[in-house]
Amino acid sequence: MRPWSLPLLALVLVLALAPGADAQPKDTLTIALPSHAPTLDPHMHFERVGVLVNINMFDSLLHRNAKLEYEPSLATSWKALNETTWEFKLRKGVKFHNGDPLTAEDVKFSFERVTEPGKEKKKSPQYGNIRAVKEVRIVDPETIHIITDKPFPLLLERLVFFNIVPKKHTENVGDDAFGSSAPVGTGPWKFVEWKRDQYIRLEAFDGYWRGKPPFKYLVVRAIPEVATQIAEIKTGGVDLIRSVSADIMPELKVHPQTYVSSAPILRVHQIELDMRYPPFDKKLVRQAANYAIDKQSIIQKLMGGLGTQVATNVQPAAFGFDPDVKPYPYDPKKAKELLAQAGYPSGVDVTLHSGDVATRAYFEAMAQMLTEVGIRVNARMWDPGPAWNKLYQTDGKATNGVYVTWGNYSVFDADAVLHPLFHSEVGGWIGKHYTRVEGLDKLIDEGRSTLNKEQRKRTYSQIQRMIREEAPAVFLFTQYDTLAISKRVEYAARGDEWLWLFDAKPKR
Amino acid sequence: MPAFVVRRLARLLVVIVGVSLVTFAILHASGDPVALIMPEAPEADRAVLRQTLGLHDPLPVQFARFVGRALTGNFGNSFFHRTPAFPLVIERMPTTLLLTALSMTLALAVALPVGIYSAVKRGRAMDQLATGTVFLGQSMPVFWTGIMLILLFSVQWRLLPVSGWDSWAAVLLPTVTLSTFTAPLLLRIVRSSMLDVIGLDYVRTARAKGVSEWLVIGRHALKNAALPLVTVTGLQFGLLLGGAVITETVFAVPGVGRLIVGAIRQLDFPVVQAGVFMLAMIVVSVNFAIDLLYVYLNPQIRVR
Repeated sequence: MRPWSLPLLALVLVLALAPGADAQPKDTLTIALPSHAPTLDPHMHFERVGVLVNINMFDSLLHRNAKLEYEPSLATSWKALNETTWEFKLRKGVKFHNGDPLTAEDVKFSFERVTEPGKEKKKSPQYGNIRAVKEVRIVDPETIHIITDKPFPLLLERLVFFNIVPKKHTENVGDDAFGSSAPVGTGPWKFVEWKRDQYIRLEAFDGYWRGKPPFKYLVVRAIPEVATQIAEIKTGGVDLIRSVSADIMPELKVHPQTYVSSAPILRVHQIELDMRYPPFDKKLVRQAANYAIDKQSIIQKLMGGLGTQVATNVQPAAFGFDPDVKPYPYDPKKAKELLAQAGYPSGVDVTLHSGDVATRAYFEAMAQMLTEVGIRVNARMWDPGPAWNKLYQTDGKATNGVYVTWGNYSVFDADAVLHPLFHSEVGGWIGKHYTRVEGLDKLIDEGRSTLNKEQRKRTYSQIQRMIREEAPAVFLFTQYDTLAISKRVEYAARGDEWLWLFDAKPKR
Repeated sequence: MPAFVVRRLARLLVVIVGVSLVTFAILHASGDPVALIMPEAPEADRAVLRQTLGLHDPLPVQFARFVGRALTGNFGNSFFHRTPAFPLVIERMPTTLLLTALSMTLALAVALPVGIYSAVKRGRAMDQLATGTVFLGQSMPVFWTGIMLILLFSVQWRLLPVSGWDSWAAVLLPTVTLSTFTAPLLLRIVRSSMLDVIGLDYVRTARAKGVSEWLVIGRHALKNAALPLVTVTGLQFGLLLGGAVITETVFAVPGVGRLIVGAIRQLDFPVVQAGVFMLAMIVVSVNFAIDLLYVYLNPQIRVR
């Protein structure tokens, strides 16, 4: 009798009896996300992983289709009556998962859950998105008016992911149960089960107004580790994973079980420069930094070609983009000249920071390029938490700039990037610490205070010319998002990074 | 005996307070959770939130409040989940304990027989193989082992599910991964302490009396070789919980370790504190239990 043979035998037996990698039932679509949001209540979190689930259970007044155009959803039509009043006609015959019909009361209730008129402290983390909504007025059972406190051009963008919940049911079960065990919407799938940190299981809603979704079950698994997600999709444990990086893409492209689908997204990359301190208080140095970076070779060599150079951080896909403003070319000679003109003929030392692990390779490559023209970079990587503290909370003395990527919160409008990154008012994000461009604040305010599209376009053109010249940041590129998808499912990546799985179909 | 227990308990308390203090200090040095919770909000809104979360007070005040509350099992509300932090940890505790216990059992189930066999057949092929495996096992980081096992058993051979925690088959790979972390060390201890006693006079005497080899090894030698093994097993338990943090992340196991990793990323102070507190409690309790076990195994320890 050999002592090790027993455990070995046991292992072999268990392996033989194990069900093995799970082939999934045909009517089930399983996707992987790195985590679950803390709640299924669409109004009580603002996590992308949660939004991606919520939009498949709840509808909004407007929908954005795969071509990124607005489409009627719970509202069949809408128009601005004046600068601050919008009228929405509601769809008739829409039912919630519990059988209750959708009413204007539900819409009003949904907004007031978040805006909580009259209350000092707002409990919803989404309050900031729709804080401009002053009142929701029910005109008749099929018509509502949304009244904003000032002209709010982003309203429709915000409404696309503002989900409508049932008043009666939500009040009956209470906020906590609604978010954990009894979420009810009007969307394509209804709630079945949520095992925290494991999976959310949804089932097709028979009474859905768009018709039945092609997959009967939708399962959202929480898998934090990328390598594990990849192993899952190769073995059919999941059908779709997000954020596939350039180095893994070729493998999943040719794998017999999977294909990849990419789309340009709103995430834009830049090095925000601290304009309050030398050397980036000098425009010529900031311009030199812009000339020093070979964006094209980073896109080709590190991003698998999936990126687009930009002139400023206003996205080609965003409202207000001006194609006549051209990106800085790669010109190291010119960069050196500008640096010398600015009074740094023998170069200058700077410290740049990044808290973004995913883009570390780009950051390091750029630090090298800047160093080559004489802007000698001490490149520092941080964990996201401490980075936040270090870079945006302190007075900036320790830093000359920070590498950031900005996702625009999926809002296709120039304001969504200009205000947080460059506006120097207190509410600004990086702008308030770093950016000091004469007249820029006023133009950004101008752009967000009218609904007149032509006027807004002109303002944003002016801003783009201004920031390209003033260079408050090193403008880089936009990126793509890549999904890996099982060959048994037909779906395509979207420019807003949404997973609108009603569009997913079984293949063959 | 009671004095001994009291002394150990006092030491236990010191460790727990120390761990809490260190966790607290590191967390508060690591960043501003409010900036992470509401990146785009105006400073006024942030101030309100800071007030709500109690983050505006001086650190000593915050720590005192934390200790005061922790004594009643209240670690405050999770910033992210917006529910009390302690239940979030307790909810996930059974999963982590199960994973750790299974791994420890598996590690012992391998280490004991193989270690004894290696000692008895010292220098033979089997011994050399075992010693080599120990080196290999100790050199592999857990996350790497985990991913390699996934690639072999799930992707290549399609025998086991890649990740999850909803079937016994899914439990297997994380358990094996975690036990490779500790089995080699245990095996080495078993082998060396067996070698220490196997040559001693009383073992030879037992053999000379004609006691069967099974009894000689199993009763006489093993019982005396057990003490270092018990010590190391206790110490390894803490390491295993640390390994569970990584294993849970790789295999998407819904345990405390993964909760803590997520909470660290989100600067969710209450959850990190509650989680680390719980893990520290377990390690300390296990060590306490081991201390008591010593007394049973070796009466000499009672003296001091």
